[in-house]
Amino acid sequence: MGFPETIHTGSGFWAPIFWIIAFIVAILISYVIRGFGRKDYKRGTEQVKPFLAGNIEERKEALHIRGDHAYWGFKEALRGFYEKSKKFHSGDTRDYILWFIIILVISFVLAEVV
Amino acid sequence: MIEAIAKTILGTIGVAIFGIVVGLIYKGIDRKLAAHMQARVGPPIRQPFRDVVKLFMKESVVPENAIGWVFNLAPVIALTAGIIILMYIPIAGFPALLSTHGDLILVIYLLLIPSLAMVLGGFASASPYATIGAQREMVLMMSFEFPLAITIISIAWKLSRIPVSDPFSLSTITSYPIWNQVGPIGFIGCVLLLIVMLIVAPGELSKIPFDVPEAETEIAGGLLVEYSGRNLALFYLADAVKTIAIGSLIVAIFFPYNLSSILNLTGYLGKFADIAFYFLKLLAVIFFSVILVRVSVARLKIDQVVSTYWIPLTLLSLVGLVLMMLDIILVERGIPW
Repeated sequence: MGFPETIHTGSGFWAPIFWIIAFIVAILISYVIRGFGRKDYKRGTEQVKPFLAGNIEERKEALHIRGDHAYWGFKEALRGFYEKSKKFHSGDTRDYILWFIIILVISFVLAEVV
Repeated sequence: MIEAIAKTILGTIGVAIFGIVVGLIYKGIDRKLAAHMQARVGPPIRQPFRDVVKLFMKESVVPENAIGWVFNLAPVIALTAGIIILMYIPIAGFPALLSTHGDLILVIYLLLIPSLAMVLGGFASASPYATIGAQREMVLMMSFEFPLAITIISIAWKLSRIPVSDPFSLSTITSYPIWNQVGPIGFIGCVLLLIVMLIVAPGELSKIPFDVPEAETEIAGGLLVEYSGRNLALFYLADAVKTIAIGSLIVAIFFPYNLSSILNLTGYLGKFADIAFYFLKLLAVIFFSVILVRVSVARLKIDQVVSTYWIPLTLLSLVGLVLMMLDIILVERGIPW
């Protein structure tokens, strides 16, 4: 096995060793640039409180946002799709088997046609 | 081997300087053109350089509840990833420095890293605004990936039928301009895919109308709300470099033509013409996909962002893909169109 080995996926390729070298150099450059900036700030003052637009800071637990909110945009944008999908999820195994058979038949018919 | 490593090290330094300097100049041009379109004088083109210097002179505050090391690391990773992306993309008529060490699929993955770094920084800020911004950034990333992937695959698939080796390689894509490989039906498909890419670009860069993760008037800067000083400066630089990377990627995929080959120019004159032409193409791409769009429309709501990318744009890219497939079938079967 040669060094550095380029990984071929059939269509794509990637040589991780060169990526790592470039990454190390680039991260050093970024740190050097960051080093030009001012390092100090006033610890333990009002300055380090989170910005809440003048609102009183609540307990940390009360400020947490639920994980499923990450997908809120999707659920809102594709609401019609989700509402229709929910109806298919009846919880009855016989319904799921029926769907499985229907999809299987369609797949076989399509495979035969193609 | 040693020569290749030395080339990579020096190349990274060169590309970093190029990306940062040109990125800031284009940011200046962006602000100037946007100001003129809004009947304002606008800041001078060198203003972004001044902004960076000013940010370096400011305190870099770390909020008391923040996870300090992640908070400080995120902007460094964002800038680093921006520089790395540029290493794989042809710039100014020259082949990419790492063109033989990675392809377009890798570039698509790398494009996610600056956004992921911003998400990490947002979550590490321990601020409700930043958390909401980070969540929005994640939704935005998942939204534009699908039409972007379809666009890239459509073009690579068409090239694979020529046939060429490594159709996903950017060297191959620039050597075989897609417009020269298609018939009229494929040409229409290419136009649709270009439109998709031009609309994906502002999403990748979190620019209006897709700037929901920052949304200053709504969530006070979102995932950047707690950032200041040198950390904010690094995010600013990362945005500048990523703008050049996205613009250069669109130029490489859709407009890889060089003036030197069109006008039969050789030597330094040819190189100069290619470099000047590249900057012109880059400006045109950034103008139409970022500047013009951001002064023309308002910010979309998060659900509108998702539906825009997942429904009309995905359908548009799929129509582009189908037209490319049809083009291939017609060409391979020798059917005149």
